[in-house]
Amino acid sequence: MLVKAILIAAFSGAFFTYLLGKASAWLRNFFAVLISVILAVLISVSYGKSEQIAYFSFLDLSLVLRINLLSWLFAIAIQTITTLSVIFSLSYMKGKERTDFYYLMMLLCNAGMLGIVLSGDLVSFYIFWEIMSWSAFLLISYNRGPALSAGMRYIVMSLIGSIAMLIGILSLYATYGTLNITGIQSVMDSASGGYILFVSILFLIAFGIKNAVWPLHIWLPSAHSEAPCPFSAILSGILIKMGTYGFILCLYVIPGAALYLGLGGGILRHVLVVLAWITIVIPSFIALMQDDAKRLLAWSSIAQVGYIIMGISIGTGLGLVGGIFHFFNHAAFKALLFLAIGAIEYRTGTRDLNSLGGLIKKMPVTFIAVLAGTCGLIGIPLTNGFVSKWLIYKTLILNNHPFLAFAALLGTWGTILYSYKLIHNIFLGQLPERLKGIKSAPVSMRLPFIVLSAVIVLFGILPGLPLSVINSITTSFGFEPLNITIWGITSGSGHLNTINIFAAFLAAFILVWLIFRAGGKKVNIPQHSSYAAGAPVPPEKYHYTVGFYNPLFRMIKPYFRDIADDFYSQLVKGLTVISDRVRKLYCGDLGIYLIYIVLFLSILVISKIGLKLW
Amino acid sequence: MDRNQVKKWLESPAKMGHKYSLWAVYFCTGCGIIEVPPVITSRWDAERFGVLPAPSPRHANLFLITGYVSVKTLKAIINTYELMPEPKYTVGFGSCPINGGMYWDSYNTIKHLDKYIPVDGWIAGCMPRPEAIFIAVTHLWTLIDKGMAKGYIKYRENYERYRENQEKALGRLEWPPLFPVKDENE
Amino acid sequence: MVTTIKVLEIIASPLVALIIGILFLGLFRKMMARIQWRYGPPLIQPVIDLVRLFSQRGFSHGAIFDMGIIISLAGTLVLILFIPIGGMCPLESTGGLLVILYVMLFAPIGIALSGGGGVNPNISIGISRKLILTLSYEVPFIFIILALMSYYRSISIVEIVNAQAHFRWSLFSPLFLSGVAYFMILPAMLGIRPFDIAGAPQEISSGAYVEYGGKYLAFAKIEHALALFIIIALFVNLFLGGGNLLTFLLKMLAVFVTGVFIHAVFPRFRIEQATKYLWFWPTIISFISLIFIQLIRWQNG
Repeated sequence: MLVKAILIAAFSGAFFTYLLGKASAWLRNFFAVLISVILAVLISVSYGKSEQIAYFSFLDLSLVLRINLLSWLFAIAIQTITTLSVIFSLSYMKGKERTDFYYLMMLLCNAGMLGIVLSGDLVSFYIFWEIMSWSAFLLISYNRGPALSAGMRYIVMSLIGSIAMLIGILSLYATYGTLNITGIQSVMDSASGGYILFVSILFLIAFGIKNAVWPLHIWLPSAHSEAPCPFSAILSGILIKMGTYGFILCLYVIPGAALYLGLGGGILRHVLVVLAWITIVIPSFIALMQDDAKRLLAWSSIAQVGYIIMGISIGTGLGLVGGIFHFFNHAAFKALLFLAIGAIEYRTGTRDLNSLGGLIKKMPVTFIAVLAGTCGLIGIPLTNGFVSKWLIYKTLILNNHPFLAFAALLGTWGTILYSYKLIHNIFLGQLPERLKGIKSAPVSMRLPFIVLSAVIVLFGILPGLPLSVINSITTSFGFEPLNITIWGITSGSGHLNTINIFAAFLAAFILVWLIFRAGGKKVNIPQHSSYAAGAPVPPEKYHYTVGFYNPLFRMIKPYFRDIADDFYSQLVKGLTVISDRVRKLYCGDLGIYLIYIVLFLSILVISKIGLKLW
Repeated sequence: MDRNQVKKWLESPAKMGHKYSLWAVYFCTGCGIIEVPPVITSRWDAERFGVLPAPSPRHANLFLITGYVSVKTLKAIINTYELMPEPKYTVGFGSCPINGGMYWDSYNTIKHLDKYIPVDGWIAGCMPRPEAIFIAVTHLWTLIDKGMAKGYIKYRENYERYRENQEKALGRLEWPPLFPVKDENE
Repeated sequence: MVTTIKVLEIIASPLVALIIGILFLGLFRKMMARIQWRYGPPLIQPVIDLVRLFSQRGFSHGAIFDMGIIISLAGTLVLILFIPIGGMCPLESTGGLLVILYVMLFAPIGIALSGGGGVNPNISIGISRKLILTLSYEVPFIFIILALMSYYRSISIVEIVNAQAHFRWSLFSPLFLSGVAYFMILPAMLGIRPFDIAGAPQEISSGAYVEYGGKYLAFAKIEHALALFIIIALFVNLFLGGGNLLTFLLKMLAVFVTGVFIHAVFPRFRIEQATKYLWFWPTIISFISLIFIQLIRWQNG
């Protein structure tokens, strides 16, 4: 009942918001926040429930909803990020046009995502998947202009995925006659390995496109950078994770771990980890060459998705826990980073990294948000990103996959480089003249920053809180449970104890701070008093931001291009050429059309009567 | 040299620290800088006494004005002097900063450097030999010991007078005053 | 009883690291002077420098300028607690070598944040070069660490040290090539010539330290001393088999003296040359070593 209530509230809330918007903007804003908070409360209340409800039936298929711990985890992440984005949009969308449409699509997308994780059979899954996909498309193309082509890329790739998924669903229905997930789970043991592999590949294409795994990621950079910032947060934070939910569904829930590891003689697992390898390494380095803050973050999302897929597809319990936890963490810090960049874009009007600087004095809360987000992204100890990455590293190293661990560790270094570039070019350094009068981020933008930063630090110091939930999920898939205390993990060799690190760091910080206070006095000087080889500091740009890692760019640029994008462009060009030639058949001349008809009829007649082909 | 006397260290560590760790800003002011590389390299090793060249004025506490001071160099000297952290010591090296030296009648050099930045000691000569730098350093130690090397305090207390002289020589200055200056118009 | 020993270790480890680090700084300058046929400063010269720096009134560019250097030094102090120093390892059961690799990040990131408070392009160039250099040596370093963790089947540094007791040093085991590669990247990790690109006095006026005066520079010097200690201690623990306190310090001295000899004869690389070198021979050697270890492990079943 609760599940039905959640979905009904989500969908009706979306439409009702739109209608209210026609009446009054303030009422619509209030209602949008209200419905998001209500949904969040409803979802938190349904923790621990496990039920399945049939809600509709047509064409002798009964559509069911279900909720279990995995669905709950994804649902709470979805709803939290959406609530915070809606609160953020209150100030971000002030004064923009078509805001009713914006809220409608955002809440509809949210409702679609909730439906995906709460659906119990594949038809509901597909319907909600499509609702999510096209509402996202409409919202990506919201700011016209270059966003239209970005949205076109997104929807074409998404449709290819959806069609692959539809073929898989139809094939499953034709073979087993049921599309209920629990029903399919029970027939998996009797299915042939080849058939499961075939259906898995179809589904994995769909989920891989949504999840932006390496050769299928080309829609992501443009889409995430052109979408409005609060929606970019939802896109990067949770929409692409719907692909992760699909991966888990397709690899662990339906076939079960043992079957997955044996698929195609273990080939599927190898292919997935190699794709994850490439997804971690190459986008991390492409990200550090970007000049647009949102594009940098978009490439960073692709890289982090590689970590999640690596954790999930490696096939060990520890890896699965690490992968799911990394999904949860990445939603927190990537949403935080996109919202922070949104605040900066709102105040300064630009997101070009080469023209910003020194904003730390004007927007300190935004700086702390970006600092927390990037610390989580890098995986600095005491943030939640560290714990999930530690789990992934540990499983890769202890299960003897050093080349995969190499990618994971190298990805972190790419992350450090581009995260520092982001912080440095926006907040540190010299404040440009034209930005001297900007104000700090408005209150409704600061609230999501504080909540998400608190989540990052809290789950870094006390990782046991989410890890116990994830542990239950993986135990239900048949892996052996980890030994998790509220601040540590003790299993196998090598324990992690975050409270020790926290206490040590706090003590060291206090000690150093005391020594600092006891040391000599200091003189506070303005920024323009700086060493410039004897000359006064030039008032225009003196600090160094353009081409921040130039020596590295020049070395790695020929190797770290988006090869997949080039491949697709060539493919499209080739198809255009072929289509152009085929188009010449339509010449508009009635005589030639009559010749076509006569030729075709004669071929039919000859093949039937003369050669008896059919 | 009383570097080994622990009692003196315990009495006034700041003074002893300043004496035996004099880092000179490696600002090649004028022609006299040719005498400095032999001093800091192997032949006349200055690192024995703790004297090192410092790449940035923020690290340094000794400023050697080596050679003549043209008007253009004066701007850089004042900027560099103001960037150094206190306590700091200045030594004029060569005859030109003392009274104009060889360029006593030039239109483009500063004759009395003392009017623009405070100078704690002078080394006469056109160019003094590297040994003279060591003699100057030992004299500076005696001055620091007696508490007589107070150039930076003089600068702080008489900043208006110094700034007036600086503006007379250089015209309107592009940098704001280092210490608060009473404005006559108020 | 156990807790008192632990508390004593927690206090003693950073003190030992600080004293040995500062001694190393002094020894460095003395040895360089003697190699250059001059007398050089006394061994306690770094202490004199620190006293002088603490008595100067440094300049501060704002809150982030202060906080950054405090975070950097605090992170380095915490790191010392994770590394076994001749048998003392206070925080041993907290994540092992991976935590060490990540707490090592606090130092450059702290300086990077602090340097961002000042406007100077030298700071930004210094930090960007430091990050690129660190990325460059991390590639062979990751291969080396992975070979170590594969061979000893553990991610805990204490277990790795204990497995090397009685002269079964990693340097003399099948991990020999990894040891060679590690020695080849050690100058880059220590920041000595030919890799002292990040704090180059002539090219970029000390890079990130250009605006540090007074106590800030003192903190930076202390952090440099501790970083020197930590990196050599890591090498000695991973490849030369820890040992009790005296042997540990002797081994560190040996590695350090070799480092000074290398520093004395080399000029400074440009950053592209450094990256090309670090991604070529050390990477190839450590990669071959990793494959070799994998083959051994595969053979042993």
